[in-house]
Amino acid sequence: MPERQDKKLEDILRLIELCRSVQSSSVDPFQVDIREKLQTLKKHLPDWKLIDVMLMDSEAMQQLVAIVKLQDQWIKHRASSLYIDPLLLELKIRLLSREDLANSFVKCWHPIAQVDQLTAKGLEKAFVYWRDLVPMSERFRNEFGNYGTVAGPMDFEELQSLNIFTKEQFETRLQKLDDELVQKAGDTEMDYRSFIEAKTFEEKAVRAYLTAFIVTEGRATIRTDPLTEKIFISPVVGKPGSETKSVAIEVT
Amino acid sequence: MSTGTNDGERALLERKMRKALQILILQRGRNPGVKGWEMKRHLGKDYKTILEVLSTDLRSLGLEVHEVPGIEGTDDSTRYLLRFRESPTLSEAETAGFRIDDLAVLAASVAMVNSKQGRVGRKELERFLREKFPRWRVDYSLDRFIKRGYLDQDDKSLLRIGWRTRAEVDEKSLMTIILSRDTLQK
Repeated sequence: MPERQDKKLEDILRLIELCRSVQSSSVDPFQVDIREKLQTLKKHLPDWKLIDVMLMDSEAMQQLVAIVKLQDQWIKHRASSLYIDPLLLELKIRLLSREDLANSFVKCWHPIAQVDQLTAKGLEKAFVYWRDLVPMSERFRNEFGNYGTVAGPMDFEELQSLNIFTKEQFETRLQKLDDELVQKAGDTEMDYRSFIEAKTFEEKAVRAYLTAFIVTEGRATIRTDPLTEKIFISPVVGKPGSETKSVAIEVT
Repeated sequence: MSTGTNDGERALLERKMRKALQILILQRGRNPGVKGWEMKRHLGKDYKTILEVLSTDLRSLGLEVHEVPGIEGTDDSTRYLLRFRESPTLSEAETAGFRIDDLAVLAASVAMVNSKQGRVGRKELERFLREKFPRWRVDYSLDRFIKRGYLDQDDKSLLRIGWRTRAEVDEKSLMTIILSRDTLQK
């Protein structure tokens, strides 16, 4: 029974894939037999119990609608005088020289006439903008104090000068976090994200920042599973290895 | 008395025509041309009549006011452009910065997209063009024409006809000319 269910699910997935590939290429949309596909969906519909599968079913339906829309455009284009057999046209273009092609183009070309220049009004606007523009050094003063710099990475000295950390506090917290890692992970590794998790985002960012120091100092290592993209952290016992690599991890 | 009224109307029309020409000729924003709603704001609700008269007057200068229907199909979304009434010669096109190879790539691309029901995969088009043009020329020209609005590329790398081709090129004539060109002597 579950095998039959899997087969039906596969039908839907294959249908979605087929519709997507037709939409992303110049393939004739009439190659999708809408009637047959709708009957398949209709036949399978009473068997679906899970919401995820039902959503997949509606996704398939939506893809079929997109194909019908493409078929409509296809017919309209064929009915217009722009339709020419692609093979005939390809052959013709292959046989024509570059000069012939360029000449064909310029014969039906009416370039747009326009002037791209400053006007007195535009110049006045630019002057007023420049006159009222606050210098870079003062622009971010309200947000960042006297620094006058835009958002970017901060080093430890900057954090110290902003009174976020004192050197003593920093060392203490670093040691505390290192101990916590050894205690939680032991001899094995643990999920990095759950390690830095905290009640508030600010606290989480601080934990991530301090963890980066622990890793940089070689007291812990970070490993990323290439399949699941999960990040693991493990404490290092003894001397740190010589091979190091810098990685950026986003904290959300 | 009636002559005075006629003179007043004529002066108003001429003023509006001058305004229309100024709006059309100076580029506003990223793309050239002015939308219907903007014309209405500057010239009033009878802007279409003013543009028609302006187009007739510009005939002697070899220019015309051309309208490109918008996606919504409404008057407000229609884009009005000032364009050359006559087509340039190949040497004139070259002095405007277009090489023969560029124009040939564009002609083949537009014709190809139209023959493929208005959309063609970029890879497919590149493969076809590389039979005639060097790879670097194909890549460079396609990117340039996408940037300038002659071709439109979506997130699935499908190429369509861009707004500028719709505005500047008589696509039906292009297809006919390409098909009717004599290739026997080549």
